[in-house]
Amino acid sequence: MDFDFSERQGKIRDEVRRLFTPDSRFSLEELENGNDVLIRSSALHWLKILGRAGYLVLGLGDGRNTVELVAAQESLATVSPSLFLSVEVSARIFGRLVAIYGTPDQRAQLLPALGEGELIGTVAISEGCMSLENNPLSTTGVSFGQGFMLNGSKSHVVNAAIADWIAVAGKTEENTAFFLINKGTEGLSIGQRLSTLGYNGTAITTITLENCPISSKYVIGPFEEGQPLAALRTWEDQILTAASLGSMHRCLDAALVHAKNHKSGGKPIIAYQEVGFKLAEMLTLLQTAQLLAYRAAWMAETDDREAPVLAHCAKIFCTESAEQVASYALQILGGHGYLRGNPAEEGYRDAKYLQIAGTSSEISRIKLGDTILEGE
Amino acid sequence: MDFSFTEEQMMFKEQVIRFATREIVPRVQEHDLKGEFDFQSFRKLGEFGILGLHFPEELGGSNADVVTSVLGGEALGEAGVDGGLTLAYGAHTFLCADTIFAHGTDAQREKYIPKLATGEWIGCMGLTEPGAGSDVASLTTRAEKRADKYILNGNKMFITNGPIADIAVVYAKTGKNLEQARISAFVVERGTPGFSAGENLIKMGVRSSHTSELVFEDCEIPEENLIGQEGAGFLMALQTVEWDRSTLLAPFIGGMTYVLNKCARYAKERYQFGRPIAEFQAIKHKLADIKIFIEAARSLCYRIAWCKDQGRPLNHLEAAVAKLFVGDWSLKPANDAMVLHGGYGYCHEYEVERYFRDSRLAPIGGGTSEIAKRIISRLI
Repeated sequence: MDFDFSERQGKIRDEVRRLFTPDSRFSLEELENGNDVLIRSSALHWLKILGRAGYLVLGLGDGRNTVELVAAQESLATVSPSLFLSVEVSARIFGRLVAIYGTPDQRAQLLPALGEGELIGTVAISEGCMSLENNPLSTTGVSFGQGFMLNGSKSHVVNAAIADWIAVAGKTEENTAFFLINKGTEGLSIGQRLSTLGYNGTAITTITLENCPISSKYVIGPFEEGQPLAALRTWEDQILTAASLGSMHRCLDAALVHAKNHKSGGKPIIAYQEVGFKLAEMLTLLQTAQLLAYRAAWMAETDDREAPVLAHCAKIFCTESAEQVASYALQILGGHGYLRGNPAEEGYRDAKYLQIAGTSSEISRIKLGDTILEGE
Repeated sequence: MDFSFTEEQMMFKEQVIRFATREIVPRVQEHDLKGEFDFQSFRKLGEFGILGLHFPEELGGSNADVVTSVLGGEALGEAGVDGGLTLAYGAHTFLCADTIFAHGTDAQREKYIPKLATGEWIGCMGLTEPGAGSDVASLTTRAEKRADKYILNGNKMFITNGPIADIAVVYAKTGKNLEQARISAFVVERGTPGFSAGENLIKMGVRSSHTSELVFEDCEIPEENLIGQEGAGFLMALQTVEWDRSTLLAPFIGGMTYVLNKCARYAKERYQFGRPIAEFQAIKHKLADIKIFIEAARSLCYRIAWCKDQGRPLNHLEAAVAKLFVGDWSLKPANDAMVLHGGYGYCHEYEVERYFRDSRLAPIGGGTSEIAKRIISRLI
């Protein structure tokens, strides 16, 4: 047993933290009001820097969620939630899909540039119905010449408007495949940015595919039912878990600074128990969430049989704690917190995405419940 | 980071579960119902080696580390041992015996630890007073030095094992006057003139543990019963916090696992609307929430235990976080477990109501949740 970071784990966490100066952190806040051009240029700028630090290739080879990965993610998620989401979808979701399931040619073509932050990728899975639990994919690839003709539409695709490559999940007859589509490909239409509650610095859009021709060399799969969709969902859950840690850090830090500096009745408001005790609960939630997230990562790293259970526990607890912590932070910041453009209101809006995306809190609880019932 | 247990630790946990299931659990319900302390089970804990687990072998212990001690406590809870017996064990081993072991003289260790490790003697700790709970510094029990004796006067309150203890570690103020007085710790043996225990208090939960007032009226004890130095008592009391936030909380967490297993079994057996209630989403959600609490709480307690094993000074912030989480966040899952059992859950036979009552102590005993928040808000 060892609750400390190893030297390697601590090093990557600190390195990621050091990449961002106060000025750069400030400029990242502009992302929240940015258009697609700003979001893409900012993402590419930071992807290159993160690439040089080795961030983008973490966990790429084996798809494992590791303690080292979470340590790095926690640092980045604390700097900018929107940048974090863009980077993770590109590096960890799209990157892992290609690295683990792609062909040697696909890996050779895409991974070096992806690892160096030279290109942005994304994966398009969700469709109109959103939930894949009970609904099959309706996007289909029909054999056409040396490849497929793709038709369908996808919703809520993070990075779609700024991506160089999109991996679209669809059906080929009865099996699932991913179609790698380069931006500008005929038949691919990128919709307008969706106006979302949170993650406003992330380009989330719909895409439409109308007779989109895909060469067979750009197809990953086809796969038997479930795989690698289940793996993608696991990766996504882990990213959202780490994002929650970052959000809680941001909210707690903002609330703490305010509580120590803002005075009421001649004393800092932290001296009032109604404020101090909220901060105590916020820290308790953060520390508990951290331990769950890291233990889940360690279990995944060590192939522990309880790893999926802990991953669900961590996803539910961390994402729901993120909402509670943001809510308390908003309350402590008072009128200041209610103004647009601070970590508390941002965290409060972002939190719902964390709970809905990936495996939703409800589905996660059902899966946990099923596992518990199976064990008895 | 490494969250693994050694093979020996896991084997030990399994052994404790088997032992407790066979030797202790069959009597748990009866003692809870009657509010009686189970002397037989307590002695069995001693024979098995639980009571003195972390003490050196020459003093009757097994030289176990703190993490193993936490596993032992968790295992007792997981087997279905009630919170009363595990609280009695915690107060005896960690609040009483360990204070003597950690701060006492060789003579005190040799005299008391072997008897406490086997359960031949039962120990308690007298810190809380009728007017001094979390505000330890305000305690008013006095220990006046006269020649080679100390004369104790004062009252202690809510003392676990008070009515049945053979020895008590008692905190009292020493010094010429109250302004300059500092807290010191003493061993007081049962039968010492002037020392008496009150009636067992009837409690909501942890009913098989006996709790009472301790009364000291011109109670004379020899000066060699002072533990450590005069005035060092406050720090000794603080050091029990590490045990409190790890080993004393562990049985609650283990107990929640026991309850979760019961819930899962019941949900599969109980049919409503033509199918087992396990098939309803709301039931699965409750099971999930109980599981999340267990896993979250475990890491917090093991962190405190691991840090103690590393010889690190107590991190008050992390200790308070563990206490606050286990205390406050255990209430909903304990309630969920009872509600999941419906009317049966409200009845004693199904045990979940016992756990519900026992778990209500978690946000109160050993420092309330409010005190934990106060500590955190001052250290943050």
